[in-house]
Amino acid sequence: MELIIGGAYQGKLEYAKMQKPDIVWAEGEICSMEDLAKAAGVNHFELFIKKLLKENRDVSGLASRLIQVNPDVTLISEEVGYGVVPVDAFDRQYREAVGRVCTELAAFSKKVHRVVCGVGMVIKDA
Amino acid sequence: MLHIITGGSGSGKSAFAEKQILDFGPAKRYYIATMHPFDEESKKRVQRHRTMRSGKGFETIERYTHMEQIQGICGANVLLECMSNLVANEMYEEGGAGKKTVDAVVKGIRHLAQQAENLVIVTNEVFSDVQNYDAETLRYLQYLGEINGRLAKEADRVTEVVYGIPIHVKG
Repeated sequence: MELIIGGAYQGKLEYAKMQKPDIVWAEGEICSMEDLAKAAGVNHFELFIKKLLKENRDVSGLASRLIQVNPDVTLISEEVGYGVVPVDAFDRQYREAVGRVCTELAAFSKKVHRVVCGVGMVIKDA
Repeated sequence: MLHIITGGSGSGKSAFAEKQILDFGPAKRYYIATMHPFDEESKKRVQRHRTMRSGKGFETIERYTHMEQIQGICGANVLLECMSNLVANEMYEEGGAGKKTVDAVVKGIRHLAQQAENLVIVTNEVFSDVQNYDAETLRYLQYLGEINGRLAKEADRVTEVVYGIPIHVKG
């Protein structure tokens, strides 16, 4: 598994396409759990988490499930949770959930890239 | 030594910070909890942290303001969590430092750092977002940012934790 993370509009997808030119990227916002299980790469994984939370589904088992069913996937995910704690309860839940799921996935991942201003840094290379 | 640990929400800062304390060895461990649990969500948060810490030999000191009054931590390994709550408490709680928060917090932390063998402080990256904050929130960000900067200058080590991965900022 690999993670490509970074803030919004940092060129994560472009960087990912350069790193992995052969991957067809599924979109987290619209893909199902089945799609996720089969995908070689997923863009906007954070929106997949958001979608589950909107459906009131528990995401605490998501990371371990994904590790089990698709251990070789590459996930692109926006780093959220670097602002003032939001007033809105759902927003608070969302940013923390993205953090917790990605922390668990990062521990499993062989490689974690962080993209800033279009430049990717490998912050984990196990 | 003084080690400042920062990171975003849910980034694994606490787990990393606890590990730093455990790695210092068997000296007495204190956990200074600065979050004032005032509602269900914060009570849950406190409980989650308590569960994470359990079995790791921490003695918890709940203190929401005035770190300079903490005694009896000489030679111990101390984890303070977290700076973002401490600053809000000093600014807004009765008996807090109010407008003198920056100097009061820095002074309080120096006191702890002098007493403790090792002091690890968890703070928070809350400075990068696109929102129209009101003046009070901006003042909070300014205070916290200034405190983080001043303490980082004195710290032996500063680490940003990104999804559990330590990024060495200083030391």
